[in-house]
Amino acid sequence: MLNLPRPDLSSTEILVIEDYEGMRRILRDLLSRAGATRVTFAANSQAAVPLLERHRYDAVLCDLHLGQGLNGQQILEEARHRQLLAPHTVWLMVSAEKTAEMVTGTMESRPDDYLLKPITETLLFTRLSRQMARRRDLAPIEQAMRDREYLKAINLTEAQLGQPTPHLWDLKRLKADLALHVGNHAHAREIYLEALGERDLPWAHLGLAKIHFLEGRHAEARAELEQVTRGNRAYLEAHDWLARTLDKLGDLDTAQAVLNAALTTSPHAPTRQGQFGEIAYRRGDLETAAGAFRRQIDLARQTPLKAADPYLWLSRVQLARGKGDEALRALAELSVDLREDDTARLLARALEIPVHLQAGARERARALTQELSGELSAQAHELPAEAILELAKPLMELGEKDTAATLLTSLVGNNHEHPEILERAKAVFAQAGLADEGHALVDRATRAATESMNQGVKLAREGKLDEAIEFTREARARMPNNPRLLLNHAFLLIAWMEQYGRDLRIASEARSCIETARRLKPGEKRAGELLTKLELVGNDFGG
Amino acid sequence: MEEADSKLDLSTFLLSSIHDMKNSMGVMVAYLQDALTTPGDVPADSGAREKTAQALYEAQRVSDHLVQLLALYKIDQAFYPFDSQYHVLADLSREALARVADLAELRGITLECDCDEELCAWLDYDLIFGVVVQALHNALRYGKGRVMLRVRPHASGARISVEDDGPGFPDFLLAQGNARARGISFTTGSTGLGLYFAGLVAGMHKGAGRAGMLRLENGGPLGGGVLMLELP
Repeated sequence: MLNLPRPDLSSTEILVIEDYEGMRRILRDLLSRAGATRVTFAANSQAAVPLLERHRYDAVLCDLHLGQGLNGQQILEEARHRQLLAPHTVWLMVSAEKTAEMVTGTMESRPDDYLLKPITETLLFTRLSRQMARRRDLAPIEQAMRDREYLKAINLTEAQLGQPTPHLWDLKRLKADLALHVGNHAHAREIYLEALGERDLPWAHLGLAKIHFLEGRHAEARAELEQVTRGNRAYLEAHDWLARTLDKLGDLDTAQAVLNAALTTSPHAPTRQGQFGEIAYRRGDLETAAGAFRRQIDLARQTPLKAADPYLWLSRVQLARGKGDEALRALAELSVDLREDDTARLLARALEIPVHLQAGARERARALTQELSGELSAQAHELPAEAILELAKPLMELGEKDTAATLLTSLVGNNHEHPEILERAKAVFAQAGLADEGHALVDRATRAATESMNQGVKLAREGKLDEAIEFTREARARMPNNPRLLLNHAFLLIAWMEQYGRDLRIASEARSCIETARRLKPGEKRAGELLTKLELVGNDFGG
Repeated sequence: MEEADSKLDLSTFLLSSIHDMKNSMGVMVAYLQDALTTPGDVPADSGAREKTAQALYEAQRVSDHLVQLLALYKIDQAFYPFDSQYHVLADLSREALARVADLAELRGITLECDCDEELCAWLDYDLIFGVVVQALHNALRYGKGRVMLRVRPHASGARISVEDDGPGFPDFLLAQGNARARGISFTTGSTGLGLYFAGLVAGMHKGAGRAGMLRLENGGPLGGGVLMLELP
């Protein structure tokens, strides 16, 4: 019992990410005692990320605090996000203390385990052996999830739960999260309740809260989340969901306070900074909003989370503060940082229009509008809703009514079931003294969208599946970001495969529809259900 | 400077100093361990060896206390990420015993373990590990020749006991055994930090309608002190 057998690491590929030379030596020495010879060292993220891109390591030992570049947490998130780790790879975070991110963050942000300094031989080998065994057991499930075969993953989880296992609650938690993902709320709920019967487990409260939230019971979601967050700001993911829930309940003040608490614990999460900034903006707390978006941009710049949104927000906030120069600076930064993204570059230029207009540089605004109006109309379907609403008003003011109408028509097409956006589209016309025209445009675009939906359904009911699919496919080209249309189209594609057999191209078209719909409307239960159906078409497992 | 500012500065200063001291103690422990295990560095059966072993014990004790202070601060400020997981207790036992094995050997004490391989319990690994290692350090200090780590099922959870064959706990500690709120005892010179921490940690483990408990007894199977941690 007392003598711990050393694991045999002679064929284990290990990456050590550690900035301190002394610590690298200690780890090299310790690992060599277990026969490890295939050990690679990196002193920082700049060295580590290319190595992770090229090799699939069996284990990664990574210090949380690295001198320069990304910290260990950010490298882990990037590696998971870009799938640079094999399904069986163990990630151990080396740190001086236990941090909230390592324990209560999202699944992507949690390492398999953490080693608190000082690192001893026992600590290293017991944790490494334990996690390598765990990862080995869970790897087939992880692989199925990566292949997006969620039913298969659930079946594999059930098979492991049918035998004695040291990972009992890891597996149950995983199964609940998978059930939630495919829209099987009842099953997920059962497991979360079982867990709460054992212990007051934050993840089980969080799971129940997500179900409440997704089914629109926001008050219940809040009550569930407050059981976790009350009196403890270490539970990060629960704070993020509580803020989202409070936002739905219209309590922006508390939502901002909740995010502020989570940011005190963990300020380095760009997504949380963005959420904080949006809420502050809507509360009219522009200075706080500007700070949050600034931090979001800086935190995300070197990561795969880099996107146009925070730059557009920062420019919007600075313009609202009357700081046109700062707004232009944010846009200039956008066109540099996302230079490979055509839409981002177009937006960076187009959103200069309202800034110039506010600064009284009307001619400059007009010239830019004329230069870009063709491109804007052509890309209207791909532009984010906020950006369209922001552009439509100055376009109208500069006499570019046609471009404004094109943008708003595509906005309505993509959001025909989103009353707030419809109202804001009408308001743009009303402000230009064209209220009637606005109503007519919104009605027309909404009707066109609804008719597209109905026509597709009608053709399918009449058994004209091919025609129905051609119809929804064409409608999708016009309204590529309409969640209902996307799901309808996916539904028809799946029905087609049920009739004629699985087809790789059709399956991937359906998947892309479902995934876009899910991104636009997270947690849409129908999306999960369609994913399940898609997986079942032509597969002989599950059921 | 405003008074509020100076208070804030002091607590920040204390906190960063504790971090710093903890890291230094970690290095000191590593050096002492290295010296004691490298053949020829500190000759066996020498007075120097005895003193180095004593220094190692004291350094580990300080290090344990600093870790506990940091955890207490986070618990007090409500941002300790308490993480209840269903752990195999044999793993925890092995790791804790391995952590103190060098010290036991130097003091000529036999470490024993009695733990069911299959037994699991819900616990925050770091907190419970800290309490068990500290209890083992304490038992190694007062034990004469044997220290036992015993893990048994208890109600719906588990009982972890650390037993020794020493003189047992003094009366004042036994009396305080389960009282969580204790001040610093100036008569005994004990800050009570270790016991306070253990009691607090036990109490943070809740389930099956009960909270964990800390118990101290004398005259267990080995005849000396027994520290018991009961987890629901």
